[in-house]
Amino acid sequence: MKAFGKYISKYLLSFFAFVLVLLLVNILAFSLTFGGIVFREYGAASPANMLERVAADLSVSGISEETARELNRNQIWAMYLNEGGGCDWSVSLPEEVPTQYRTQDIAVFSKGYLKDYPVFVRSMEDGLLVLGYPKDSFMKLTGNYLPMRAVRIFPLFVTGILAADILLLFLVYYFSKRKISKNTEPIMTSIKTLSAGKPVNLSIHGELSEIADSVNQASQVLSRQNQARANWISGVSHDIRTPLSMIMGYAQRIAGDHAASGNIQQEAEIIRAQSTKIKDLVQDLNLVSQLEYEMQPLTKAPVRLSRLLRSYAVELLNAGIPEKYSLETEISKDAETAVIECDERLISRAVSNLVQNSIRHNPQGCTIILRLACSDTAIFLTVADNGVGLSAEKLRELEEKPHYMESTDERLDLRHGLGLLLVRQIVEAHDGTMKMESTPQNGYKTILAFQKLLP
Amino acid sequence: MDNTFLHSKKLLLVDDEPELLKMITAILTDEGFQYLVTAPNMKEGIAAAKAEKPDLAILDVMLPDGDGFSLMRQIRTWTDIPIIFLTARDEAGDKLAGLGLGADDYIAKPFLPQEFLLRIYAVLRRCYKEDAPILKLHSCTVDFSRAEVDNGSEVLPLTAMEHKLLETLAKNEGRIVTVDTLCEALWGDNPFGYENSLNAHVRRIRGKIEADPSNPVSLLTVKGLGYKLVARK
Repeated sequence: MKAFGKYISKYLLSFFAFVLVLLLVNILAFSLTFGGIVFREYGAASPANMLERVAADLSVSGISEETARELNRNQIWAMYLNEGGGCDWSVSLPEEVPTQYRTQDIAVFSKGYLKDYPVFVRSMEDGLLVLGYPKDSFMKLTGNYLPMRAVRIFPLFVTGILAADILLLFLVYYFSKRKISKNTEPIMTSIKTLSAGKPVNLSIHGELSEIADSVNQASQVLSRQNQARANWISGVSHDIRTPLSMIMGYAQRIAGDHAASGNIQQEAEIIRAQSTKIKDLVQDLNLVSQLEYEMQPLTKAPVRLSRLLRSYAVELLNAGIPEKYSLETEISKDAETAVIECDERLISRAVSNLVQNSIRHNPQGCTIILRLACSDTAIFLTVADNGVGLSAEKLRELEEKPHYMESTDERLDLRHGLGLLLVRQIVEAHDGTMKMESTPQNGYKTILAFQKLLP
Repeated sequence: MDNTFLHSKKLLLVDDEPELLKMITAILTDEGFQYLVTAPNMKEGIAAAKAEKPDLAILDVMLPDGDGFSLMRQIRTWTDIPIIFLTARDEAGDKLAGLGLGADDYIAKPFLPQEFLLRIYAVLRRCYKEDAPILKLHSCTVDFSRAEVDNGSEVLPLTAMEHKLLETLAKNEGRIVTVDTLCEALWGDNPFGYENSLNAHVRRIRGKIEADPSNPVSLLTVKGLGYKLVARK
């Protein structure tokens, strides 16, 4: 019932307003049509007016010509009964209407009809004035009495009925609303998931099943496209590997061939270095697409990050980095034992990409520091350098602008390194956070934070 | 560490790319390997493995008539020679499948010749011990078969731990070995809190192999990471 207040606040109010307006419209329509007839009948030719007029015009000899014409125009007949029950005079009296009445006859017809003519009577000084209106022009209530109790409870009864109606309306509204939101909620959730690019599978029966089917279909199309794209990237990266092996292999052989001239050796070295870049790019591209489309399940296991970091550093140093770069490892005492649940290969890759970035952006050389520290619940892996750094603007750009693999507009000038995108994806895949810090000429630093696995 | 004793080992290379085979052959020949056998597919690979009895097989994962994993399974039915996979796929799954089946290592394409050779040497060294492994250091020689250090004036014995530690470093001569790897070699899987013991062993080894143990030139400390053993050139 948490959403109850929301219903009241918005939809319910407008719903009740609508009911109210409907009621008013009904009353208006009722008065316009029904009331019109009633008031017209209550006009100059109404029984009360006619009786008044005829009574005023009455003399011993009857009524005037003018009043008689008026009665005729309205198809009304009239008669005057004396105290003895005989008819003194009459105007347009139909033939079937008798001219002599007993007391009990008068008592009966005065309340209702006389030979099916609705009649209205007025008691005069020495007799009774009777006006007969055309058949079927008026309905007379013959049982014109109500118990007092019924009259007293009538207002209460009307209010009660109205309240019950409103309550019923609300209940109908509330349950239909709840049913709709119950049915639409999974659809909304699925669409949200879908818009994040993840596959969904909805199962809904009833009126909304068609929507669910469409959502499922969209998801399948999306999955197929993602699969195709990931396969395509993985295929290209696969096919590029063997030729690249040969380029790298021969370039290195030429670079180390003392029979070749110095120039050729240098150029071969450039080819080797550049093809190594292509190699990194191909690997990153494949990994990014695998992570992006969740094609590759992570193989997570508890890992001591201190050990991972040392092993990465040693691998890098053993492979040899140019003298102008130096690598330092600082692992705090409490971080030494800290363990996180992770895919070792991917974390290693993230660190490697950050270190390679530092090397790439500081061709003059720099000191790179791998630091591991921890708090009670988190472990912080920092890759820092003391190189040229970045301006605040560039840093913001790096943090905010999407990589071209994620961007849908065509401004490819926004692209920055694939390496950093991969780092971000790896961090996200481990529910970690990533923070970049830099000041110009004062180094660049990336801090990755992960949830510590409690012992 | 001197690797020349490994150059007499016979290597079987199976890859469907003749150009790549040619390059690898050239790299290995230049390095000094004298016995190389190549095969372009699984069928010929099996035949060559049977006929030539190689000491190490380097297999491509993707072959025209099967995959490297089933080729390994076949070879394994009659011999336990070390096997290294070459693959153009870098998925974790492949790696695990390869090592889980008992492959000794895995080299992802593209690779640099250096890296390729290092992996081959590492596997060969692990599987084939030198007949008389003698390590020449700056101010002494270490005889691993006798667990002795000869510094010219006297012969000092190595304890089992010192021998193991020195051997692990020697296998990675010239390369840094992390404290984690060393502790694992000495105390088994998942060691922790042995750093002080490791330091003590290193100090004792230095006392035996260094001319001036407080200024080591053979067994070097790499701050924060591990140790490195440097041989006499």
